[in-house]
Amino acid sequence: MPQGNGQKTTNDPARVAVTAAGVVSPLGFGLAETLECLRSARDCVTPVMRFSVTQCRCKTAGQVSDSRLLASHGQLPRSRRLHRASHMMIQALQELVTQQPDFAPELTVIGTTSGGMSYGERYYRSLNGAGDLRHAPTWIANYPAQKPVIDAQTAFGISAPCQVIANACASGTNAVGHAFECVRSGRYQQVLAGGYDALAEMVFVGFDSLQASTPDKCRPFDRYRSGMVLGEGAAVMALENLDLARERGAPVLAEIIGYGISTDNFHITQPEPSGVGARQAMERAVESAHIHPSDVDYINAHGTATAFNDAAEGRAISALFNAVPVSSTKSMMGHSLGAAGAIEAVVCLLALQHQFLPANINFTTPDDDLDINIVANEARPAVVNIALSNSFGFGGTNASMLMRKLDA
Amino acid sequence: MSLEIAGMGWVTPLGTGIDSVWERLLRGDEASATTISEKFADRVYSVFRVPEAALKGISHPRLRRASAISRFAAAAGLQALESAGLKPDSENAERIALIFAISNGGVTYTKRFYHEIVGTGAQAASPLLFPETVFNAPASHLAAILGVTGATYTLVGDGAVGLAAITMAEELMANAAQDYCLVVGTEEIDWLLCDAYRRWRLLRMAPPIEPFSRQNRGMILSEGAGAIVLGRDGFLTIEQAHPGAYFARRAEAEKISKGILCNLGQLEIDFVISSANGTFVDQAESQALQKVVPNALVYTGKPALGESVGAAGLWQIILAAQVLRSKEIPPVLHADESVRVRLALSRTPVPSARRAIVLSCGLNQQAAGLRMAIH
Repeated sequence: MPQGNGQKTTNDPARVAVTAAGVVSPLGFGLAETLECLRSARDCVTPVMRFSVTQCRCKTAGQVSDSRLLASHGQLPRSRRLHRASHMMIQALQELVTQQPDFAPELTVIGTTSGGMSYGERYYRSLNGAGDLRHAPTWIANYPAQKPVIDAQTAFGISAPCQVIANACASGTNAVGHAFECVRSGRYQQVLAGGYDALAEMVFVGFDSLQASTPDKCRPFDRYRSGMVLGEGAAVMALENLDLARERGAPVLAEIIGYGISTDNFHITQPEPSGVGARQAMERAVESAHIHPSDVDYINAHGTATAFNDAAEGRAISALFNAVPVSSTKSMMGHSLGAAGAIEAVVCLLALQHQFLPANINFTTPDDDLDINIVANEARPAVVNIALSNSFGFGGTNASMLMRKLDA
Repeated sequence: MSLEIAGMGWVTPLGTGIDSVWERLLRGDEASATTISEKFADRVYSVFRVPEAALKGISHPRLRRASAISRFAAAAGLQALESAGLKPDSENAERIALIFAISNGGVTYTKRFYHEIVGTGAQAASPLLFPETVFNAPASHLAAILGVTGATYTLVGDGAVGLAAITMAEELMANAAQDYCLVVGTEEIDWLLCDAYRRWRLLRMAPPIEPFSRQNRGMILSEGAGAIVLGRDGFLTIEQAHPGAYFARRAEAEKISKGILCNLGQLEIDFVISSANGTFVDQAESQALQKVVPNALVYTGKPALGESVGAAGLWQIILAAQVLRSKEIPPVLHADESVRVRLALSRTPVPSARRAIVLSCGLNQQAAGLRMAIH
């Protein structure tokens, strides 16, 4: 039976620890591979082979290896029927559970945008006479957005109720942020948070139709940026009441200290040009953390490399922060939509733990209109005590989250 | 922490507006079924659609190209705010949170968008349609119409997602910075959904929905929206929202439903609004209800209104609220007298009803519940 019974344990807000994490992305399987890739500033974007992109402007994406996913979980019952998103969630959760076998969340909050969309695509193509409908019940059963979350929880005996947030590209940060608020309020002691998304043809073509994706390299904040590339992956984090985590001797990887959310209502696909929505989300995160903007040492930007996003986000960052190092790690792995905020929270966690600034690769020419301090092309050592992660999505939804290094 | 219901809005196949739909339910009316077809398939399905007249008067530039799901949501959301006497403005724009509960989302536009890709190729893909395929498009439209600038969330799940949204509202309202939370559940019908649920052996080809029947003959899909304004003052209290649970296999649905009822049923319960819809859900809920709250009257509105999936949880809450306010339970349609739970087979006065449970067992592994009381 879930423990989230609405009873507060104290009137003071609880501090919220991250006690474990798991990740799979184009950067690698697990924290160690991800760290190595971030430190070497590797470009992990590759040509798309999963579906035809001959009619698309963009022909590349950050992709997760199917053979590695299946090699990791092929032994699970009915494993081959599961959607790739389920495999990614299982991979990420397995890493978390290995670190914290006793973690028993009372609630799970996961972000996504597409659920099992590629199974929906197969179903539709088969209905149109292009395939065999014998497998339709499997596709339909694995299509719902909550299914990968339930599959992953079932694989590891976790029975927490699931909230699946679909706030477009902000979903992952919204999920981690809402989970943070749930622990901070005292309503829950342990919450599993994260995000997932798997590459799907419809979504790929959709961004291409908007001319939001690029035939070139992904160059966030560059003067010659020409758009995003898509990515995929999953990441999860174990969030706990800090005092209780310490009491039970759990290692504390970092502390989440603030979260801000805003809605800018400007346009369904474009941010408000002055960056007011992004700025409000960051301001609210800073207020929620009770810190000053000058305390922030690193910003992992949303940084999709579209003309509109980077201009609005860049303006918002320069209005609030003074020369804080900024990078968009989407330059290395693409934009994994609902997973992005969760994966980038893990990037911030690694930056805090290992004291370095992840790079914004493919950066050649500064944009004269943006007054921001880009960590260009190479990761570098730095003192990083507080990191901010941004995610902004369709529909004008904006989310920012702050994480702090915590010495044991 | 308990939440108060301050306003409600309802768009259904039986019409729009709380009082109007409620009157029809009390009279024992059932939505009219229409058929839905698809050019690339022969099969025709029966569905309960929202009458076009129900959306008369809903206009806004953001809704010009929006899908039906967004228009249903906007209509229900605006009704709920009006009934709560709440007008979003620059003073409170940050302090009103918006939570959407959705299951299948903007499936009609999604199908159209993908159809162009399959039929003609990626170059035919419409940049106007794509944004409407995103799950949070309806929430984005309503947020823009209202001008709210604070928290906006879209939750995705099965029929239980509406109750999960209430749990989330409780979590948001724990923060003193939130004064109100507008929770909207919304769904639209498409042939593709009917076909998918039929292949899953959950759909009946034509009405009626026979609740709690041993044969599990299936459901009829419907569409529409339900909205409630939650605040710290109102006419009804949500005493406890159970955070929900999931079942890995359908056989576990009864156990999960029982657990939720045990947790919520610790006070005297007068009636239960069930999610029985003619599928496996009915037996799971029936067994759980008989064991945990055998004396409570049980009502399900799905034979009259259909299965609206993402909107269904909000509809159930509105039904519970209306029974508590009007002290009457509408007749449960198409139920057999031999059913083992205590069903109200005719319009039944419940003058002393004070407390209700809403139980929702979804079709895709999620279950949730909440307990409500009138002051």
